[in-house]
Amino acid sequence: MPPLIEAHDLSKNYGKHVALDHVNFAVETGRIVGLIGPNGAGKTTALRAILGLTPYEGRLRVLDREPFGERAALMRDASFIADVAVLPAWLRVDQAIDFVAGIHPRFRRDRAHALLSKTQITGKRRMRELSKGMKTQVHLALTMAIDAKLLVLDEPTLGLDILARRSFFDALVNDYMDETRTILITTHQVEEVENLLTDVIFIDRGRIVLDCSLEDIATRYAAVAVADDKVAAARAERPFFERRTLGKTVLYFERSDVQQLANLGELLTPSVSDLFVAKLSGGAA
Amino acid sequence: MNDYAWLVRREFWENRAIWIVPIAIGVALTLAALFGNVQIPALSAPDSRALSGVVLFGFGVTFFVVMNIYATWYLLDCLYADRKDRSVLFWKSLPISDTATVLAKLFTGLIAIPLVYFIAADIATLLMAFIVSVRAHSALGGSLWQPDLWLQLQVLWLYLIVTTAIWYLPFAGYLMVMSAWARRAVTLWSIVPPLAAYLLERWFFGTHWVGTVLQERAFGYLPHALRDNYHGTWVTTVVGDDTITTPASIWRMLDPLGFFTSPATWVGVGVGIAFIIAAIQLRLRRTEV
Repeated sequence: MPPLIEAHDLSKNYGKHVALDHVNFAVETGRIVGLIGPNGAGKTTALRAILGLTPYEGRLRVLDREPFGERAALMRDASFIADVAVLPAWLRVDQAIDFVAGIHPRFRRDRAHALLSKTQITGKRRMRELSKGMKTQVHLALTMAIDAKLLVLDEPTLGLDILARRSFFDALVNDYMDETRTILITTHQVEEVENLLTDVIFIDRGRIVLDCSLEDIATRYAAVAVADDKVAAARAERPFFERRTLGKTVLYFERSDVQQLANLGELLTPSVSDLFVAKLSGGAA
Repeated sequence: MNDYAWLVRREFWENRAIWIVPIAIGVALTLAALFGNVQIPALSAPDSRALSGVVLFGFGVTFFVVMNIYATWYLLDCLYADRKDRSVLFWKSLPISDTATVLAKLFTGLIAIPLVYFIAADIATLLMAFIVSVRAHSALGGSLWQPDLWLQLQVLWLYLIVTTAIWYLPFAGYLMVMSAWARRAVTLWSIVPPLAAYLLERWFFGTHWVGTVLQERAFGYLPHALRDNYHGTWVTTVVGDDTITTPASIWRMLDPLGFFTSPATWVGVGVGIAFIIAAIQLRLRRTEV
């Protein structure tokens, strides 16, 4: 089975600005992939290309389709929440449900009603009358009622308070995700999503700097916290990043044989946030 | 076809003015008929028939003028509004092609909105004619209700809707291109290209080709769609101090054969289609304002 999303040499320029620079990656079915990078790294451009919202150079297949030319067909099997604020102010909740039910072959109205019945939101309310958190609940209910193979979320919790964020991700993991689905999620806030991801792709200045499953992080990356007298010896092992913390120096390595490192100090498994900082802090120490 | 029905319904949800404005005009006309000062002099049968025709036609024109102003605004706004509030990202997350979206909006502006006004004008003029006839029955003898005149107006409305949609297709397509393209101030931007072309042509070549073409498209509709040699069929009616001139028959004014065989009609359709293709291409690529 080919990957759900497959990008080869994917590039996109805006005038002289290179948003994506010959990027390669693949996303397999059943994964929850985080596309993570600082603002302006190319995350949104990559998503726009995957969703058929923008033309691009290179080869890109999503659900075995060419996204830009076949967006409408692609959207029968994929859905996305671009940003919480995109439901138009004039739209009523019941109109939104009627419209999506009318045009989407995979939309299940009963499911949307079931999801909304858990909230305070009634059908006659217009989006302009709802809070940001409530609009997110409506959008999520609409999207989760679509039996899609791929769900794409672009900074889905931007501008939401902590309670709304938590309930958003809880609903996503508990009520939606199963082995037939795939979720691709972009964020610049790693901590928020690192517990639910199965894979991470780090992107910086239009290039991929890390592409790894969470299981593989432990085997591909290692960190060691060493006392000051052993820093020189540890540096000889060629870490790609180091930082000072609590009187010790933590050095990060991309390697699997950790026995040597264990002799230098305390071995740590880097978290996704640690790796994010390490990989994007401007290269090797 | 089902998708198009939903897309047009969506436009009616978003632009409630589509039906609120014609209903408001209709209510105003009905109230005027109910409580207005109706003074109709006693007229002979043919004269009251002419007066009735003028009244029906006059109210039809009111609706028609407002409808054209509103439809122009609608076409200029329809693709811009989605980008401005970013809801284009929601609509594009659904399995609807940009071609279908643009065509549904074009249909709404050129056919659906005029039909709503047509129906509103019909109901309002019927109500008004009925009320005025009842109130002025002694003077008018119920003759404001003229079935054949009314029928003629129905045909005229439908003829106008179809032929204006075809004749003004290039204008509609142009407005949609601007709506899909402009990042702000759509109305202002829509004036710039034709004005610039007109002025540049004048300065550099001293000619008036652009101006002439635009003028012919804007004002050429009447001579193309309606018969221009209907001098013989005018009827004059004298009501008090006023003289009303009306065509004896609306049927004879319509010139469908001339309209559909005129090259100008089909050149316009060609240009209109080119603009609509451009609007679709812009809609495909442009999601931000």
